[in-house]
Amino acid sequence: MTIENIGLFQAMSAKMNYLAERQKVISQNVANADTPGYTSQDLNKVDFGRMVDKITQDHKSISLATSEAGHMLPPNQAIPAKEGKNKTPYEVAPDGNAVVLEEQMIRASQNQMDYSLMINLYRNNVDMMRTALGRQQ
Amino acid sequence: MSDLMGTMKISGAGMKVQSERVRVIAQNVANADTAPTKAGEKPYTRKTITFKNQLDREMGEKLVAVDKVEQDTSVDYPKKYMPGHPAADADGYVLMPNVTSLVEALDMREASKSYEANMGIYTQTRDMASKTIDMLR
Repeated sequence: MTIENIGLFQAMSAKMNYLAERQKVISQNVANADTPGYTSQDLNKVDFGRMVDKITQDHKSISLATSEAGHMLPPNQAIPAKEGKNKTPYEVAPDGNAVVLEEQMIRASQNQMDYSLMINLYRNNVDMMRTALGRQQ
Repeated sequence: MSDLMGTMKISGAGMKVQSERVRVIAQNVANADTAPTKAGEKPYTRKTITFKNQLDREMGEKLVAVDKVEQDTSVDYPKKYMPGHPAADADGYVLMPNVTSLVEALDMREASKSYEANMGIYTQTRDMASKTIDMLR
């Protein structure tokens, strides 16, 4: 058994992948802050709470009731986030550019905070496992 | 991890085009007083730079690149009364470059702001990557 097979770790690495992907989209927006006709993009939000439920479902003794018998659970993997154009830009420059740098900066710092949170959670969980194994850190 | 590396490449491309822009602005400012040497010749014409997105096949990502560096002929050349100048016309007027230092200063400010924004994303992404690597410890 590797650490990757544990539901929580799977969910965390999925979230980290999503955040890394989002960072890429933000950096693309910032790099194109002066490109004529460019509209800023963002990843669609993924409901990680639901995803964790789905990933951990297999490990639960009691599973959630589904409203419909035909409901299928997605396989144990992250839901791919889709890239979407910002349809309601706050400000459009005369050359057609609709990237607001301040907005992107806020998104980037939010992204970074989420990423650090994930890393710290990951660390703490590994530490907990180490403690359970009775090893000194 | 490859996402984060790609992010750094995208921000790097953003910084590169902005420094290219600063170079064009510097050229305009340096030539703000470049008068023609003979009567009937045109003085220095202001240059403008535009950006575009280009697919980087190695990465499969769109990187920002310099589109065109063009001469700005939308602004007329101002005339200056200098009868002793070799390029003076019959009335004693010399055509001067259509460079407005105020416009160039504002452009420069915008370019440096965009550069800083790219730099910010780069630093942030680098921190994210190094924190991820630190998880190995």
